[in-house]
Amino acid sequence: MAGPELLLDSSIRMWVVVPIVFITFFVGVVRHYVTQLLHSDKKVELEQVSDSQVLLRSRILRENGKYLPRQSFAMRKHYLNNVETGFFKTVKRKVVAKNPVTDTSMLTDMMKGNLTNVLPMIVIGGWINWAFSGFVTTKVPFPLTLRFKPMLQRGIELLSLDASWVSSASWYFLNVFGLRSMYTLILGQDNAADQSRIMQDQMTGAAMAMPPDPNKAFKSEWEALEIVEHKWALENVEEELMSRDLNFGGFFTREFKSTMF
Amino acid sequence: MASVSELYDVTWEEMRDKLRKWREENYRNSEQIVDVGEELINEHASKLGDDIWIIYEQVMIAALDCSRDDLAWSCLQELKRQFPGSHRVKRLAGMRLEALERYEDATKLYDSILQDDPTNTAARKRRIAILKAQGKSAEAIRELNEYLEQFVGDQEAWHELSELYINEHDYGKAAFCLEELMMTNPHNHLYCEQYAEVKYTQGGMENLELSRRYFAQALKLNNRNMRALFGLCMSASHIAASPKVSAKVKKDNMKYAAWATAQINRAYQLAGRGTKESKCSVKAVEEMLESMQITMS
Repeated sequence: MAGPELLLDSSIRMWVVVPIVFITFFVGVVRHYVTQLLHSDKKVELEQVSDSQVLLRSRILRENGKYLPRQSFAMRKHYLNNVETGFFKTVKRKVVAKNPVTDTSMLTDMMKGNLTNVLPMIVIGGWINWAFSGFVTTKVPFPLTLRFKPMLQRGIELLSLDASWVSSASWYFLNVFGLRSMYTLILGQDNAADQSRIMQDQMTGAAMAMPPDPNKAFKSEWEALEIVEHKWALENVEEELMSRDLNFGGFFTREFKSTMF
Repeated sequence: MASVSELYDVTWEEMRDKLRKWREENYRNSEQIVDVGEELINEHASKLGDDIWIIYEQVMIAALDCSRDDLAWSCLQELKRQFPGSHRVKRLAGMRLEALERYEDATKLYDSILQDDPTNTAARKRRIAILKAQGKSAEAIRELNEYLEQFVGDQEAWHELSELYINEHDYGKAAFCLEELMMTNPHNHLYCEQYAEVKYTQGGMENLELSRRYFAQALKLNNRNMRALFGLCMSASHIAASPKVSAKVKKDNMKYAAWATAQINRAYQLAGRGTKESKCSVKAVEEMLESMQITMS
């Protein structure tokens, strides 16, 4: 049930909505540059790089092995998986437990991450809550349930107000995530102002970079490779090819320009 | 000498974009890069902003190709001034030493980079390139093998190794390298075709069959690959002409060869419409294919 349409003062739009957008945006840009200044190069170990490439190769063998002749596939599978001499069976890596408390480099990284991302968010969120409180800022275009009211309507004590009407704090949070694509436009891909990406990284972090335990990764890759069978994709390639004439398209009809520009 | 922008009537932005295209697609048209890049650096350096550093790198490598040591030296100086102590710039300095054939100095430089950063692939690859330039192909092959043991995913290196093996006529190992490439790029018709050619060169009934299949696969991936079409025709007719095959295999292969021949004829007809020289080539192809038919049956 849509509540009665409230008419908001247009000065709200001018002095609240737009400034919050600007503030969020500029804070994000400043955060990006600060992160770049504090950024320290992560030293990669040769072994780590090598291991991650071997795992990638094994994965590709599983996926695209069907394009290779049977013999070649068997040869590679044997090299990796053989019970006595296979790579995944014989190579054991020393696992150095990276304890976040004692490992200094990880500690400083975490601290820097917290400083540049969480701290500004808290500070600015709090300031906006204090400065722009007590009135309704905007209306989200979709209906919300009443459970969202205490979260989104901080400072507005109206029981009958539709939950779609939100305060400036929630507009601020909406901006933090919404301006992500703007950052990509202006700062280029891979920018440090992208908070949601950082959160995503923390969740899927182990999957992308070399997991701290290569032995486990080797074991799971060994199992995956064991069950793969070789189904040659080129079994009937000639028949498939010759079922129709070759399509030469426009290959022979136009002149190719061979100048620089 | 008229400048590039006058000759082709292009603005500096177009020149910069063209350089970027050449850089991203790995072109090696060094003379053109030197022409365009030199003009950009001399006339429009201030407008390029931060782009200029990567253009310096691109132009320097092209200048080394064209023996323009003056241009290479000036680019290197600019880069050294801007990025002192950078491994990437050090590698460029090493490449310049290679161009001057001071191979020991270059090797020492690359070794120092590797001491600092053992994961630096560029320095390792340049060391191998030096061995290749000096003609020590056995050592180059050995070092490249060691490199690939650590960095299994480097496709450029696999391709280089396959080339080295082909030069040494070690077709079995070259086929292995090409299989790696086919595995990582299953839709690239050129790798399929090269693999098929190596198998065809190895010879033997099994390899000829494999090569015929992979020529067909290359054609399936790209219908216009004329080399693969010829390869298919030749491998099929070779199998059919061999005395040791069963009748069914012979019949199948003659069918494949006939189909391939028909397609080749069709291609040359399409290409030959109009110009007189191509009419001669159409005739030449027809005669060649007919003579092959005669030896087969």
